[in-house]
Amino acid sequence: MNLERLFEPEAIAVVGASRTEGKIGYEAMANAVEFGGRVYPVNPSGEGTVFGERFVESVTDVDDEVDLALLCVPGPAVPDVVMECGEAGIGGAVVYASGFAEAGEEGEALQSEVVSAAAEHDVALLGPNTSGFVVPETDLYASFASGVEEVRPGNVAVIAQSGGIAHVLAFRTLREDRGVSAMVGLGNRANVGFRETVEYFDGDDRTDAVVLHVEGTERGRELLETCREANTPVVAYTVGKSDVGDFAESHTGALTGDHELYEAGFRQYGVPTVDSTEALVDAGVALADSPEPAGPNVGVVTAQAGPGIIIADRVQRGGGALPGLAAGTQERLDDILPGVTYEGNPVDTGRPMPEFGEVVTAVAEDDEVDIVLVYELFEEALGFPVDELDGLADRVDKPVLFATEGVEADMADDLAALSEAGVPVFASPERGAEAVAALVRYAETNERSEEVSADV
Amino acid sequence: MSDPVETAREEGRTTLTEAEGKALLSEAGIETPAFRVAADADGAVDAAEAVGYPVVVKVSSPAVTHKSEWADGAGVAVGLESADAVRAAVERVEAAADERGIEADVLVEEARDVDAGTEVIVGGLRDPSFGPVVLTGLGGVFTEIFEDTSHRIAPIDAAEARAAVEELRSAPLLQGYRGSAPADVGALADAVKAVGDLVAERDIAEIDANPVLVTSDGAVSLDALVVLEEA
Repeated sequence: MNLERLFEPEAIAVVGASRTEGKIGYEAMANAVEFGGRVYPVNPSGEGTVFGERFVESVTDVDDEVDLALLCVPGPAVPDVVMECGEAGIGGAVVYASGFAEAGEEGEALQSEVVSAAAEHDVALLGPNTSGFVVPETDLYASFASGVEEVRPGNVAVIAQSGGIAHVLAFRTLREDRGVSAMVGLGNRANVGFRETVEYFDGDDRTDAVVLHVEGTERGRELLETCREANTPVVAYTVGKSDVGDFAESHTGALTGDHELYEAGFRQYGVPTVDSTEALVDAGVALADSPEPAGPNVGVVTAQAGPGIIIADRVQRGGGALPGLAAGTQERLDDILPGVTYEGNPVDTGRPMPEFGEVVTAVAEDDEVDIVLVYELFEEALGFPVDELDGLADRVDKPVLFATEGVEADMADDLAALSEAGVPVFASPERGAEAVAALVRYAETNERSEEVSADV
Repeated sequence: MSDPVETAREEGRTTLTEAEGKALLSEAGIETPAFRVAADADGAVDAAEAVGYPVVVKVSSPAVTHKSEWADGAGVAVGLESADAVRAAVERVEAAADERGIEADVLVEEARDVDAGTEVIVGGLRDPSFGPVVLTGLGGVFTEIFEDTSHRIAPIDAAEARAAVEELRSAPLLQGYRGSAPADVGALADAVKAVGDLVAERDIAEIDANPVLVTSDGAVSLDALVVLEEA
């Protein structure tokens, strides 16, 4: 299935567009008109204009090649509208309405009708029962939720089974000063599911990592295989840990819950898993903005002991190792900072200092280290070692992550500079460590699959 | 011997007998204790002499899947050291079978010293979403109370099977504990791989090699329950 016309349209029709504020046809139109391409409101009872665009009676009446239709019509009307879209040569559609496969037998029948109509005309259909998608780079806000036009462009594709969680994740990136290459709520996955979207964003130039929110799919194995085949790193958050089998019975059927299979399967197929929306976004950023990690060895540099201890603990619990630094690195550290507080791993400088950046560089250049995590409380007189961090990860070809804390307003300029330099920044020692742990798991499984392919 | 899966299919069964299940495991390279199936007490005594005392006598019938819970414990008799003990065990099985109106043979099997090793559950099933999967867990409380199991999407290679064993929280028990000899983890991993292959290759809905007794010189499946997919 070709998703290009769905996610990269040149012209959009909003079917069921409305001038009545609060209606889904109004809200979807309000977001859609931000789009740089043409936008056509379609409604047989619409008169005049909405958001400055003249109403068209039907998609078949639009005098243009429309790629994408946003269907703001009630569920029962959807099959006919999809059929009309197909006849009008439209290649992608978003169905916002609910009351389909999620709502019992009648809904299932309705969804089958929609799927057949879409199949007949080769329409890539997002939903039903979704709040849509956004591609901030092209100002494409195919969602009826308010505020989505604020979501910024970035290089992480967010694919969520639930439209609601898609928005939770997108708004979280906004609050964290990050962005997305796309945010997609799959909903009922009538004919656009995990496989189709992961494959699409794997091939998308703007996407450097894909994050998945998974509640459950009847095509679990296919999802795993798709993730393994993707060249773009994928990280997943699977929900439903409490929904396990009945462990009181000691046989395989009772011992095998869905959640175990998702967790085990993702791990086996090279996809790190995380346990919260926060960690999902963090892991996505770490994977998207870093060179591929080569192994589980983490070099930690901290300006304060306490955060360093938390980081060392979390990184190791998450599967990472803290190797001793090479003799050459220790000599360098001695030269930079005679009598440094602790020059093992973590390297603890005791406080922020002008030489902090040099210390980070020395650790990053150590061959024993695969991943670097730096922690430092913000010190206004010194700022962050932006110059040293800028380009460091690419030069040493390993991830270099930074975690900090301080007064937001005081840090703003330095944080912006780090962001500009492409350094992933995390707001607590735990979050930095968890992001590192996701990189470790990614390195681990992908190292193993490389070994396997090397054996062939 | 004919293929146990085909035999069951021909007889319209989806549940294999223990003997059939063990034959299937054995063909897949998993060690099982020596056993024979007998129809009556005389046959059982002959069988016991052939496999060597001590022996275990178990009910053998397609109608009984959970042998140890069957007929207040009449379904499994362990540690039998004489012909008289074997006869008594067979009589209890026959009486319980008559009472329940089912046909039952007995399976007479070489007894293994379960204290000489660690009991592990190795299972496989065909999941509707993931297809063939294989499960590993240490027996008893580790699995039932601590939920300490690992899963893999099958089929898997030897390294993945070993990783499935080693990721168990209770795995250190297999490395030797308080002076006990380290268990043959390689043999266990081979069994995990073999069960995964069986589910991937045959039309099996669920398979339980439970327990697999892992000792310092191998892994032997003491029981086998195989359920085929609905035809």
